[in-house]
Amino acid sequence: MLIFFFLMLGATLLTIQTTIFTMLPPWMGNPDLLFLLIVFIAIRFDIFPGALLALLFGLMTDIYAGIFLGLYPVVYLLLYFLLQGMSRLLVIDETVHQAPLAATSYLFTSSGIFIFATILAPDASLDWSWRNIILETLILAVIAIPFYHFCAKLQELVQGGLKNRTFLRPKTGNRFRV
Amino acid sequence: MRNRAKRARQIKALLLFGVLLVLILMLIVATVGRRQFNAPHKFTLELIGRAQSGITSVTGVITNIWDGYIALVDVREENLRLRAELQKSKALNNKYAEAVAINDRLTKLLGLKESLSAPNLTARIIGRDPSLWFKTVIIDRGSSDGVKQGMPVVTAEGIVGQIMSLSPHYAKVLLTIDPNSAIDVIVQRTRVQGIIKGNGSGYQLHYVLKNWEIGQGDTIVTSGLGGIFPEGLQVGKVTRVTESRRGMFQKIEIQPSVDFSQLEHLIIIMKENSLAE
Repeated sequence: MLIFFFLMLGATLLTIQTTIFTMLPPWMGNPDLLFLLIVFIAIRFDIFPGALLALLFGLMTDIYAGIFLGLYPVVYLLLYFLLQGMSRLLVIDETVHQAPLAATSYLFTSSGIFIFATILAPDASLDWSWRNIILETLILAVIAIPFYHFCAKLQELVQGGLKNRTFLRPKTGNRFRV
Repeated sequence: MRNRAKRARQIKALLLFGVLLVLILMLIVATVGRRQFNAPHKFTLELIGRAQSGITSVTGVITNIWDGYIALVDVREENLRLRAELQKSKALNNKYAEAVAINDRLTKLLGLKESLSAPNLTARIIGRDPSLWFKTVIIDRGSSDGVKQGMPVVTAEGIVGQIMSLSPHYAKVLLTIDPNSAIDVIVQRTRVQGIIKGNGSGYQLHYVLKNWEIGQGDTIVTSGLGGIFPEGLQVGKVTRVTESRRGMFQKIEIQPSVDFSQLEHLIIIMKENSLAE
């Protein structure tokens, strides 16, 4: 249920990225929310379901981004296992680490995609634009923390289920009334 | 005893995961570098394409309401009318200029073919590539509409790209400004030949020798030699010509005639025998 829910969430984010976000002005960039979701899954989920989600997200991204099939699954799986390993050794799921984690992960992923794409098509002169990369990195670093809070709430909601929520009358300040 | 059983379960789970991972990696390695969609890709494109199509329609309606009713209605209408007239005039002007240029040089030759005689199909862009280095778009036409891989895509302003992959109702178009795109072109004025390659925002014209004549402002059109685009279609205008001291070729930058940031509707030229097949 959790995997299916986050798979739908990822598909929705990808749809929004390829439609609405492309209409944003250049200075707002094109925030890669699906990438942030993959980083969230890497540090919060168990290894098996998270790897499956990362693979599926990579396969979905392959259809809409780039021209080489298999590029995004490879890069996303590499990132996923790297972050999974790091999360077991370091405390990287704390709030204070989320923004720099998102930024460095994005730089790692972008470098990986650029290198693989250059190897696969050496005749094509891909242009590494520091301005665009830094802009996207900063945007992701800024929206990482609220996005992770949102995903964490969603995860709690799906795992806990609505049936476990109780709707009690809020308690008044007077606790000594008989 | 319980620990042994637990460990055995863990080892089994790890083995199963390892086998699954190896299989998945083998599948990925077998497909890395391929450009054509297989069945799972087509299925996913069909599913998500519908969502993209819906969102694009909704945002289109909202945008039309805003532009048409809230912001300067009269000025907008007159602007649209004048732009449509100007586009028609530009297309006609280019057609006549190209016809004169070809006619001057080829009146003595036999077997002059008409360009753009094949049937065509309109399409709407429903999604764009979110990556930083690749330039592709998703359109709402697919194999069920008769579209085939390699078919050229144009607008009234000029060439846009070619069909790269498709599913029954949607297709992916590789734009001509993508670094992986290469098209055979000629200079309209001097008939100098070359190959344009995309650089993400415009084109660069390659393989033009230093002693060949080309200047700023020259119009570049398709040569028809690549077998993909018909000849005579607008490509762009030369913005900069640089001759370095080393090397045989000039370095030429071209501004595309099409504004790729404003693309909405495209025309697919339904060529029967595409060389890209």
